[in-house]
Amino acid sequence: MLISLDWIKDFVEIDDNIDTKELESLFTLGVAEVEKTEVVGDHLQKIRIAEVLEKEKHPEADKLNLVTFHVGDEKKLKVVCGAPNVKVGMKTAYAPLGVTLPNGLTLEPKKIRGVLSEGMLCSEEELGFSEESEGIIELPADAPLGVTTLEYYKLKKDLIFDIDNKSLTHRPDLWGHFGMAREFALLVDKKLKNPYDDSWLEEAKKKYSDKTSAPVTIKVETSSSCLGYFGISLENIEVGESPEWLKNRLLAVGLRPINNIVDISNYVMCELGHPLHIFDRDLIEGGSIHIKKLDAHENFITLDEKERELIADDTVICDGQKPLVLAGIMGGLNSGVTEKTKNIFIEVANWKAKEVRQTSTRLGLRTDSSSRYEKSLDSMQMLKTLYRTIDLVMELSPNAKVVGELQYDGPVLSYDPIKITISLDKINRILGTQLKKEKVVDILTALEFNVEGSENNLDVIVPSFRATKDIECDADLIEEIGRVIGYDNIEPVGPQLDIRPVELQNRAKLSKDIRDFLVMNGDATEVMTYPMVGEKLLEKCQFEQNSLKLINSLSKDHDQMRTSLVPGMLESAALNGKNFSSFKSFELGRVYMPDDKNFVNERLHLCVSFYNSSQSTYLDLVNTINRLFDYINISSQPILRHPKFKNEVLDEGWVGVHPFEFHNFRVMGKIKGMATTLHPLMARKFKIKGSLSFAIIDLEDFADKSRVAKVKYKPLPKFPGSNFDYTVTVPLSMNAGDVLEKLRKVKIKEIISHAIVDVFEEKDKDQKHITLRTSFLDRNATLSGDFLKSSEATILSELEKSGIGLKQA
Amino acid sequence: MKDQLDSLLSEFESALTPLTEQADVLSAKANFLGKKGKVSEIMKSIGGMSPEEKKTIGPLVNATKDKMLSILQDKLNFIEIEKINQKLEKEKIDITLLDDIKSEGGTHGGYHPRTIVQKEIEDVFLSMGFEVLDGPHVEDEFHNFEALNIPADHPARDMQDTFWFHHPSSDVEKKQLLRTHTSTIQIRGMLERKPPFRFIAPGTVFRCERTDASHEMVFNQLEGMMVGKDVSVAHLIYFMKTLLKEIFKKDVKVRLRPGFFPFVEPGFELDINCLICNGKGCSVCKKTGWVELLPCGMVHPNVLRAGNIDPDEWSGFAFGLGLDRLVMMRYGIDDIRYFNNGDLRFYEQFHSF
Repeated sequence: MLISLDWIKDFVEIDDNIDTKELESLFTLGVAEVEKTEVVGDHLQKIRIAEVLEKEKHPEADKLNLVTFHVGDEKKLKVVCGAPNVKVGMKTAYAPLGVTLPNGLTLEPKKIRGVLSEGMLCSEEELGFSEESEGIIELPADAPLGVTTLEYYKLKKDLIFDIDNKSLTHRPDLWGHFGMAREFALLVDKKLKNPYDDSWLEEAKKKYSDKTSAPVTIKVETSSSCLGYFGISLENIEVGESPEWLKNRLLAVGLRPINNIVDISNYVMCELGHPLHIFDRDLIEGGSIHIKKLDAHENFITLDEKERELIADDTVICDGQKPLVLAGIMGGLNSGVTEKTKNIFIEVANWKAKEVRQTSTRLGLRTDSSSRYEKSLDSMQMLKTLYRTIDLVMELSPNAKVVGELQYDGPVLSYDPIKITISLDKINRILGTQLKKEKVVDILTALEFNVEGSENNLDVIVPSFRATKDIECDADLIEEIGRVIGYDNIEPVGPQLDIRPVELQNRAKLSKDIRDFLVMNGDATEVMTYPMVGEKLLEKCQFEQNSLKLINSLSKDHDQMRTSLVPGMLESAALNGKNFSSFKSFELGRVYMPDDKNFVNERLHLCVSFYNSSQSTYLDLVNTINRLFDYINISSQPILRHPKFKNEVLDEGWVGVHPFEFHNFRVMGKIKGMATTLHPLMARKFKIKGSLSFAIIDLEDFADKSRVAKVKYKPLPKFPGSNFDYTVTVPLSMNAGDVLEKLRKVKIKEIISHAIVDVFEEKDKDQKHITLRTSFLDRNATLSGDFLKSSEATILSELEKSGIGLKQA
Repeated sequence: MKDQLDSLLSEFESALTPLTEQADVLSAKANFLGKKGKVSEIMKSIGGMSPEEKKTIGPLVNATKDKMLSILQDKLNFIEIEKINQKLEKEKIDITLLDDIKSEGGTHGGYHPRTIVQKEIEDVFLSMGFEVLDGPHVEDEFHNFEALNIPADHPARDMQDTFWFHHPSSDVEKKQLLRTHTSTIQIRGMLERKPPFRFIAPGTVFRCERTDASHEMVFNQLEGMMVGKDVSVAHLIYFMKTLLKEIFKKDVKVRLRPGFFPFVEPGFELDINCLICNGKGCSVCKKTGWVELLPCGMVHPNVLRAGNIDPDEWSGFAFGLGLDRLVMMRYGIDDIRYFNNGDLRFYEQFHSF
């Protein structure tokens, strides 16, 4: 919102020489954020009226002239000028060096094609009077030489504050200059001048009283959003252009002047913060105004000439025939004031914030009026607003006359004051200050709170204009005091606290451990992808997911929650495969499973992917995952595909699954993870040229469990163990792991491990030789030769049962 | 005799010089020092000498013998080293072929920059006795709005563009949404514990906002809350200053100004002196010298009540930190969209060793 300091000065004495930066900072620190300030008219004060004396062609450039002129003091000045309309004897505006023009250009001494120019002669555009103009401004012959343009145009220097609307969300009282002035008065420590006090109001009521019956009567339906509706009729109005002062003020706050009557309604709104509406009374049919909710859908053309679709429940202001105004938002084209208007009807009303907001949001129609009403305005300001409006109408159209009695309908207007009791101790305790009672009382009083009460306890009466959704409890009063004394004046203090051990929660520890391991030990890079995915990607992956869908997604590519990290990973891998010949990456993130009972089941998943453009990284991946589980102290085994036992994280029948490179992970008894290499067919769809292996682990079930290292110390064995190395020959298709599996059937308690020593493939003979090592240890005795012999025989005969024989020499 | 010994020694030396094999050296040793060697022969001749001659010649012979043995040992050592070195040369590896000059295999692991900065901040708060909490991303209106003093149709709901979910059955009253701020954890945190307490809650939040270089629909925040007997604005400023000092590793000038957030009262915006221009005014701080960094304030009594805490007995402060903004400031990252796009060219710049 734009606030004019010149306007504020109607209500507060502010030194003309005040440091504007300082004032801006005071306002930002004490009231609301000033987004920027703009000095208006500063340049006009330096730009003066000049007379052209000579004009000659620039020696170097055809289109430029060297112009000699003076500003009345004998001294001849010279500039380079490109304007086609420059001629000897003309009066124009001269900006000397150092002036900053509204377009941002600061005039500096500079040579134009070799000739020094001492400033410039200005166009209307350069003066800031119009958006576009041709040639320099031509002033009447009698324009006084040397006079500043500010004086000549009877303008005032002004400082415009652009205040962030969001920081005024809770302050309906600050949506007009008068309310703002109350804050300025406090900031510069001056008294607020209130020209619209109670005695003024009484005076006005008497002055504009006419006991004849009103030409327009009012009926408010209680079901409507109306909180009160005043209306009064005036006749003999002369519609015309507004005077300069009024136009200038509206322009200063960004409003376009239209005609004196419309301008008055805008002016009063910007002054007192309460919107109002003025009708052409002759366009109100039937002599009555009816405020009600629409019964049914209806189209309505608003003042901006757009057709709006209204629905049942929208509150409208109707005459005998039709809706005239969309309550609290905008008037209709059918009843606005025009040049032809002779009689008017002034409406000052209040509306329920919630309903105004709903309608305005639905229509996408935000107006100066609706943005004020949706903050919850104070009904007690209506009469003041009405009489201020009449005052101005009478001033600008002196022959106007009030006809008929002031009309009102709606709830009985009264303010039942909010009283808040607060102790000085509490104020100081919450702020961390040592304020004296007098200081607190002074601040609250300056903000027009009424303070009573004894000693430590203050009974604070909230003024009506702060009582609509703004000041409700003691915390709100503490804020008033805090912001006025300045938060920067509160000394930071470290609190005295109990000592309590804190540590990360199990889930955070698990995430940290996984990241640490994969980064430090797995050489993998952590990535993050969007938790929302779209149909296009899912279709490309041939992923069918029953997922949570967003109502208002920003794009179809992110319109539902992911139920797997895989699609995002594939998209990322496709991108990274183009830039890297190999990579290792991982994502630790949530997936969102629809849940009948709780709507959603958010689960922590880990996706690790290894890529190499030329060879399989599958074993490296699975080894890394195995070591990861060891590191995080969670027992897990990679297990082969089983028709009955499926994993819970990825459909094993998915087309992206590799026929051979595949494991499930049994984690603490349940199959909570899997690893595979992406099937070349799917890799082709994503234009992934090499081999991409990935693993998915669902961490949710053990994320909150505490994990204890399972290391158990055993004393070193006192007796030596023994190894039995032997080589068997198996078909090429048999996996080394299958042979180990057979060995597990040998039950000899002294066997501590079986392991693969070496594998030698003889592809031409379709066979391979596997060298195995079985280790024996008896912690209580030396192993006897006989025992070893018989054990070895047992092992070999167990293998023999599966047709696995020793390698023939 | 002495001359004879000297010439024998030089003869031995020249015999060894061309030899390169251990076996040849040993056979040379036998020729000179063996039982039938040249030295033995001289030794034998000593037997027929007078005791005086023995006294002078004996030590000379022994000295020559020792000298020969020493030369021999040196030669043997030399040959052994030569042999080993020859072998090493054959096995020589290219010691320049380190991972970091290879196109493959030179990859370091690395954390997401968010993880790095989040951990730093968590460590600061853990050291000051704050717990670190977590919560759901899919929330209901109660936790995201109502309990935070933002009733339905409160204009503040407009300030935060919310993603809403389709619900399987359309007549459900409680609507589900993606949390728009980590302030939801204030409620969850309060309901789960009794005061006094203090915690932070870093996490992902969602806003239905068009994305550009500085706006994301998915980004990370860090919420903080402390509730105790006499927690004050003075304490809040103390913690914020301490936090910023730890994050930026230097004293940072801050200012607190009124800011409106329904869940705090009084509410503030905390600005820091622009670190780019030191407060002189630049494009980053929009010429104001200040950068808006974190909203904070004293917990609104209604919010304490929603967390089952009596506002007459307890008070507290809360703050929210734009984690991603901080990450961008730390590394000078110019586009927030890199955080979620899965492009390793971005992430690999943050490797940890």
